[in-house]
Amino acid sequence: MTFRLAIASLFARALTVGMTILAIALSVALFLGVEKVRTGAKASFADTISGTDLIVGARSGSVQLLLYSVFRIGNATNNVTWESYLDIAARPDVDWIVPISLGDSHRQFRVMGTTQAFFEHYKYRQGRSLTVADGVIMDDLFDTVIGADVASTLGYNVDDPIVVAHGLASFTEHKDQPFRVSGILEKTGTPIDRTVIVSMEAIEAIHVDWQGGAQIPGQSTPADVIRRMELTPKAVTAALVGVESPLQTFALQRAINEYPEEPLLAILPGVALQELWGIVGIAETALLAVSAMVVVTALIGMMATIFSSLNERRREMAIFRAMGARPLTILGMLVFEAMLMAAVGALLGVALLYAGLVIAQPLVDNAFGLWLPIDAPTIREFSVIVGVVCAGAIVSLVPALRAYRMSIADGMMVQT
Amino acid sequence: MKQALSLIALIAATPALAEDTRELDVHEHGVGALNIAIEGTTVAMEFHAPGADIVGFEYTAEIDADLAAIKAAVATLATPLDLFVMPDAAACTVTAAQAELESEEGHDEHDDHGDADHAEHAKEAGHTEFHAEYRLTCDNPDALTEISFDYFETFPNANEVEVQIITASGAQAFEVERDMPVLQLGR
Repeated sequence: MTFRLAIASLFARALTVGMTILAIALSVALFLGVEKVRTGAKASFADTISGTDLIVGARSGSVQLLLYSVFRIGNATNNVTWESYLDIAARPDVDWIVPISLGDSHRQFRVMGTTQAFFEHYKYRQGRSLTVADGVIMDDLFDTVIGADVASTLGYNVDDPIVVAHGLASFTEHKDQPFRVSGILEKTGTPIDRTVIVSMEAIEAIHVDWQGGAQIPGQSTPADVIRRMELTPKAVTAALVGVESPLQTFALQRAINEYPEEPLLAILPGVALQELWGIVGIAETALLAVSAMVVVTALIGMMATIFSSLNERRREMAIFRAMGARPLTILGMLVFEAMLMAAVGALLGVALLYAGLVIAQPLVDNAFGLWLPIDAPTIREFSVIVGVVCAGAIVSLVPALRAYRMSIADGMMVQT
Repeated sequence: MKQALSLIALIAATPALAEDTRELDVHEHGVGALNIAIEGTTVAMEFHAPGADIVGFEYTAEIDADLAAIKAAVATLATPLDLFVMPDAAACTVTAAQAELESEEGHDEHDDHGDADHAEHAKEAGHTEFHAEYRLTCDNPDALTEISFDYFETFPNANEVEVQIITASGAQAFEVERDMPVLQLGR
């Protein structure tokens, strides 16, 4: 009886109730959405590099080195000389080493110089290798391999010509050395998707006629002359290193960090990622706290609407009482109404979240390279729903207790 | 004239530049560092701790009591399983252990320096560090789920150990503090 009355009463006030439910739904969707983005970002960062034991770069900070070498965020403070690179490569405990040279760009995408070994040793998402979706891995000096996002954004196909610019966001382009797209990589969900990969020699070749950041006027070396030149790299931005045995990792790391000829830094990618999360963690917690606050605000909004509805429903309550409803029944009805609103709101919030995810997933992936997985609701989501319903019940107790005390005296008094 | 002056300045500065590169490791009292690498049944560990944590002083030991303290500390540090207790189920045994005291300037590369020079450096920096390396064999490495740091009981001046672990699944970092002297590896 109470349930039927409560539901009928809610329907009678469909507009205000609908608004309250919408507020709760939006707040719950926001709260769960923040959580999704947080875990999604974490997973996608952690999945970007695996199988690399050490990253070597100029001495700076471990987080900075990780960010510029793997995530292409920020810039290197210094380069590593080719001599130092060869010295490290020659150490017996180094199993493999892959150089990375950054600094040039193609449109909004970074150009990375590396060797064939990169395709062999770079692993993402627990040991997956890069695969070519179309074409082949570069084998010529002027070949490039482009990431999936580069291809889709710029509409490139295999064999298309490509011009590489010097420096980031620079307008001077290296027009005379046209590169060719030799392969397009499979989508990885890592910064590789937004990278143009060329050989180390190609990076040198681009700069043959360049001095002090500008092209030497009137000088343009033909491609076939460049091919005959010795294009030994002078420097690398960073290097990925694999060790022979994990037992040697710390010794190699220390040897590189104490390398007397040049200030170098070797980091363990996993540890640097953890450090990064230590920094980001504060912002994450703040974000989560703000979204939790939004849920609280929505629930307080519901309390306010119940309070104001009490005014409208003074007569209604008095009639219930006169018909023989006990004060407890009135209280129960109001609390049940609130729980129902909260539950519908929370469920609608979850539905909104999934609808939002379906729409936003490809957009977020394109814009930020962040893959938000659409999984079945977890215990976490259920506990949020249950939490919101309980909080709704508790919040509604305040107006319900008021109604409990006032229902008869208030409604029976003649007021106009 | 100006050019000549700058040339003289350059010549005067050159010997200082040519001497050697100068660098100093970080040194924080109360904080030690433990690196653990596990491959198959072999566990390699290296441990660094400031002299202040282990023996309570970092000056050059000259009196007998200090020398004895250092000797005892080195002997204690050479028994890793008493300091970093592994679960019995892992069945770990020490195959090699060595510990030593090194001063900040005590790197071997400084062969060209005289001994007097060396001692002076150590006094200037005033920091010493204990350094230990261990190699263990654990018959059942999967049971290596936690490490108890009895180290904190043995050395009351130590407050924290920064641990880095490399396993087949990658590298991880932990901080183990005096209040919670157990490292959960959760493998």
